[in-house]
Amino acid sequence: MADVSFQRVRKAFGSFTAVSDLNLEIDQGEFVSLLGPSGCGKTTTLRMLAGLEFPTSGDIRIGARVVNDVAPGDRDIAMVFQSYALYPHMTVEQNIAYPLKKRGVPKAERPAMVAKTAELLHLSELLKRKPKQLSGGQQQRVALGRALVRDPKVFLLDEPLSNLDAKLRTYMRAELVELHRRLGRTMVYVTHDQLEAMTMSDRIAVMEGGILQQFAPPTEVYNAPANRFVAGFIGTPGMNLIDGALAQEAGGWVFRGPGLAQAVPDLGPEATSGAACLGIRPEDLVIGDGPIETQVRLIEQTGHENIVVVEIAGGPRLTGRVPGHRLWRLGEPVRCGINAANVHVFAAGPTGVRLNAPIQGAVYSMQQSEAVQ
Amino acid sequence: MKLRSILFNLFAWSIVLMVAFPLFWMLVTSVKPQFELFRRPPTFLPETWTFEHYARLLYDTNFLVYFRNSLVLSTTTTIVVVVIATLGCYSLVRFRYRGRESLAFLVLFTYLLPSVVLILPLYLMLVQLGLSNTIFSLVIAYTTFALPYALWLLRSFMAGIPEDLENAALVDGATRLGAFRDVILPQLLPGIISTALFTFILSWNEYLYALVLVNSDNARPLTTGVMNMLISSFNIEWSLLMAASVMMSVPLIIAFAFLQSYLTRGFGAGGVKG
Repeated sequence: MADVSFQRVRKAFGSFTAVSDLNLEIDQGEFVSLLGPSGCGKTTTLRMLAGLEFPTSGDIRIGARVVNDVAPGDRDIAMVFQSYALYPHMTVEQNIAYPLKKRGVPKAERPAMVAKTAELLHLSELLKRKPKQLSGGQQQRVALGRALVRDPKVFLLDEPLSNLDAKLRTYMRAELVELHRRLGRTMVYVTHDQLEAMTMSDRIAVMEGGILQQFAPPTEVYNAPANRFVAGFIGTPGMNLIDGALAQEAGGWVFRGPGLAQAVPDLGPEATSGAACLGIRPEDLVIGDGPIETQVRLIEQTGHENIVVVEIAGGPRLTGRVPGHRLWRLGEPVRCGINAANVHVFAAGPTGVRLNAPIQGAVYSMQQSEAVQ
Repeated sequence: MKLRSILFNLFAWSIVLMVAFPLFWMLVTSVKPQFELFRRPPTFLPETWTFEHYARLLYDTNFLVYFRNSLVLSTTTTIVVVVIATLGCYSLVRFRYRGRESLAFLVLFTYLLPSVVLILPLYLMLVQLGLSNTIFSLVIAYTTFALPYALWLLRSFMAGIPEDLENAALVDGATRLGAFRDVILPQLLPGIISTALFTFILSWNEYLYALVLVNSDNARPLTTGVMNMLISSFNIEWSLLMAASVMMSVPLIIAFAFLQSYLTRGFGAGGVKG
């Protein structure tokens, strides 16, 4: 049974619609990321779940209960804020104990619970300090502690790692995953960082313009993006998206773009002739061999691999990814090919839907993407 | 470098001197016997020290009544203003409603009018309400001009408190009022203290409204009371006046001494960092 569900939820601020017609079912114990660029409605969604905003229409359920009009404190949730929102005038101990105090946990029981949480998060030495005397990472752990100290039904995390430096972020990411496994609680995690979403989540809800674009496990979001937006948003460097047209020819469907023609198998029934978009992941662009004539425009060396940007004469630029020892000179002509099994076809328009069946070699692609990350 | 620091020190000390000398003179005059006051050349330190002026003020005049009036008046005004301003700025900062900004501006607008313009309508209103000649009428009058400024002062403090703090308290199980008490108020404390001090000083030193609205000795505050008692067209009782001034300054000095650290902390940090 779904632990958290949004049913036709809409949220408008005046004439601006922040979230429209959101349907989302999150299972018990699942780690779900709400992912999208700034202003996509992910934080509004989380705040509605927390009770800090109220939906304009639709129902939000936690467990079996509709919580639309339930105060944040009565929803049995805990939340970690991006700014941590530690109470500056309270010590670490008082900060962690505050939710207990507000929920009427007897005074005598609080210290033991605080101590247990502090130990879990390596905060025992810091209990008497004020938030200002802590480093960013420590503050972050206190914020987590305040959420963990009682055993809420759902954890809400609003970009909790975005204020940490890169190294600490990687560390805390692993810690959070570990914590989630140990607690087995439902967690809803808001982030604009696809790496966080990909590495931590059971499922990712990709949002854009207040609309849910895709809700699926990370591998599926990567390998079978539901539409052009998801395809372009997920993956670094981003998927090559080439505008062109589909045509039905003797051998089946063919995509024709500037300087290239590509047979596309497995098109669904909704495919029609006319404007369309071809998506190719950088790892599926074969550089150095193939029918497409290009020139090398840019090479970014990252050590273990090189990101190569090539330009089709009179056409678009494509990004490819090759092992670190392969180099070309800038301007050098080079032939390119496309790994035909792994192409994506989308209908025209910024959120044009996916037209071909999910890619077969999903596992292979995922491993590659992990190697990059 | 050395010269610069000497010049800077000279400059700073000359300003200090300019500010401090009248205070020093007030103190000295209040303990000089009457016959020494107008001697030429003047004596910097009194040759004979006397506290007779203080004694006369306390025993022979209405000074203590005025003092009590001022104390009651200023304290009440401060409490009223701080309570309204705190809740008001909470509303102005945290809630969204139609006309919020214009309301905030309108409040300030009353502050822009010269008090002379407001004083007559206010007087007539207070008479109609049957409140003329009471301390309470002054509380109302002072609130009208202290509140707008207090509201704006506190509003900036309030705006500096991250909304997430309050949201966190709400999620942690506090009611809105509980979150206000547990999280907002402690953060706002430096602002509240600055505002309270400001309001207290304003009401303590106010003269014009007190002159117009109150003319019975039972309700007169120190400013008009002392003036009325010691300054007449024919004579100014300098020693008594200075003694009264010293005693008028004492409560403010005490308040400042206690709250100074809060005041500087308030203007410095504001508790914005989460």
